[in-house]
Amino acid sequence: MSQNLFFSKDSDVTPANLGDAIQQAIEIEIATIPVYLYTYYSINRSPDQDAISGALVQELVRAGKSTAEASAIALDLSADIMVYANKAGALIMSVAIEEMLHMALSSNLKQALAGLPELVGKSPSVWPACLPGHEPEFPINRAKLSLDQLMTFLKIESPDPLPDPKLLKAPIPYKTIGQFYKMIKTCIKDNDLPYNTHSPQLLPGKGYYAQNNIDTVYYDKEHNPHFTNAPDSGDLLYVRDRDSALHAIDCIVDQGEGAPGADGLNPDGSVNCGKVKPADYDDFDKKELSHFEKFAQIYCHYKTLDEKFNGLGIGEINISDYFVVNVPLNPSTAHYPAHIRPVSDFLNGVYTYLFVMVENCYVQSGNTQYETFMFGIHKSMIFILNSVCGDIMKLTYKHNGHEYVAAPTFEDYPFGLVSSPKSQLIDLYNAAVAVYPTISYLGQRVQDLPDVPLQNGGIF
Amino acid sequence: MAIINYNPNLSLCGGTPPAPAPAPGAAAGPATASPSIELHVCMGLNACKGHDRNGNNNCAGTGYCATATRHNCQTLNDCHGQGGCGLYGDAEQQMLPGANECAWQGSCAVPIQAERYSTLGDNTKKSVWLLARKLFEERMMKAKRVVGDSPFKCGPPQNWLTFVLGSYDSCGNSGDKRCSFGFNNPDDHGKELCEGKEE
Repeated sequence: MSQNLFFSKDSDVTPANLGDAIQQAIEIEIATIPVYLYTYYSINRSPDQDAISGALVQELVRAGKSTAEASAIALDLSADIMVYANKAGALIMSVAIEEMLHMALSSNLKQALAGLPELVGKSPSVWPACLPGHEPEFPINRAKLSLDQLMTFLKIESPDPLPDPKLLKAPIPYKTIGQFYKMIKTCIKDNDLPYNTHSPQLLPGKGYYAQNNIDTVYYDKEHNPHFTNAPDSGDLLYVRDRDSALHAIDCIVDQGEGAPGADGLNPDGSVNCGKVKPADYDDFDKKELSHFEKFAQIYCHYKTLDEKFNGLGIGEINISDYFVVNVPLNPSTAHYPAHIRPVSDFLNGVYTYLFVMVENCYVQSGNTQYETFMFGIHKSMIFILNSVCGDIMKLTYKHNGHEYVAAPTFEDYPFGLVSSPKSQLIDLYNAAVAVYPTISYLGQRVQDLPDVPLQNGGIF
Repeated sequence: MAIINYNPNLSLCGGTPPAPAPAPGAAAGPATASPSIELHVCMGLNACKGHDRNGNNNCAGTGYCATATRHNCQTLNDCHGQGGCGLYGDAEQQMLPGANECAWQGSCAVPIQAERYSTLGDNTKKSVWLLARKLFEERMMKAKRVVGDSPFKCGPPQNWLTFVLGSYDSCGNSGDKRCSFGFNNPDDHGKELCEGKEE
């Protein structure tokens, strides 16, 4: 990704650079997607409760509990882990889905005000990455679930400037994503801008966006389902005038950071695990928490569970060992061994082709756009990308004496201009299935994808 | 299938085109062909006698199993009326189990297990199969057909489907309700759904 800072440190958003500003907003949204997805896939949402419970019983009996006592405690605590693993997965997926919505809303905004959005080749290419233009910069890793990773998520979604007095003395382009969008809002409010209402956008009411699906649901101990997104928290929106443009921006900011008055991190940089406030919700009915508050919930719940387990008197326990897969930190396809590399290339080809298809939706309208979105993008996300993410994680490799589970790297694949991206994707699939026949069931799904050209002249 | 070939003529419709039909009179198979049956998505949703997977049900609504192609998730259905629902898809799609408009517009697996509930729309947290049966009965009412009882009052339980089909999978990463954790009793939850209560 070309992480350009589009502004000098003290500049404002003006009609002259509004298109660059909105493109920067799109790239901010895109930068979050691989990070959240990577951590999501590191979570085993259905760990083996019997194994967890059995191990706990043994340790508790060794520590002096009766078998009956130990079994009761182990059942309760193992259920806690089951709930937490599933809840953490659901909440992170609920945020990832809304980041995709934000990418589409920002793209609609650009289409209406400044021309075609650019999506292909805009994922971070250097890791640790940073949010384009955010100051103070902070490192963003593709890492497995941990308190450190959750702290990074909280920094991304913080409604307040990050509490680093040393860095905050420097002049900054923007301190929070919300403030950045506010600069764009001010430009839109203060200027009589022309709105392009002739070019296609991703519109509501076509089935393109669904707030919840089964992956955003988790169950409590009594197995009651909890839906982590709310139907009224936001949807796609047709940007055709000043009001709709401002509405789209409000949706993005409220979902990320909460309503005005929502608090960020404590002044000392710690997480406020106190009671949820009305401003921490992003919807009218107060049923959906902001991204920041969702991550705060996962963070605080983790700490509570960790204390509970480590208070059992059976030695030091890292609760993530029960449900987090040992994936590497910031892996790259180039560093994977030969039995994984072609699979990772194929996965990245699918990931990048998703952006190719979304870009195409901004030049096609009507049924062509509908078919590309419903049968290309939906199918790729659920039946190809999600499937191959699961399949690659069945592969392991050794590095520096440690064994790791291979993970999706979510790198942009550099589709060339000589042949169509779909034909290159088929080549990637053929190379991958040659080393990993397990994925042969994906062949027909790849074959079924729409054949969509690159819009912006290729990635590199 | 392992290796696949790129064909610029295959887009969206996808797959290998069917072979052209033999010319009339050509020696291309038996002179009599089986009559087509209506393809439907689950137990108790057949419109006609003999239109379940076993072909031996007596009347509308009494069939044991889907005739539509079995699949495990959204957008994998072949045609109109052949998609399950619930779990994925927007609110409108999720109100149309077994009643989608076209190929690839169904939002979940076929067949529809009794334990499945909707995740968006007016049927949220309620049984998908009961909604499918309601839509089916409304259609039969318009067609003035007598509808018999489904073999299972609330659709096929997942355990039964696994037993009958050898395996059963529907989409989603949110845990398996049948072998779930803690203090869950999936049978109780299944009964609540069957009674029209929210999951």
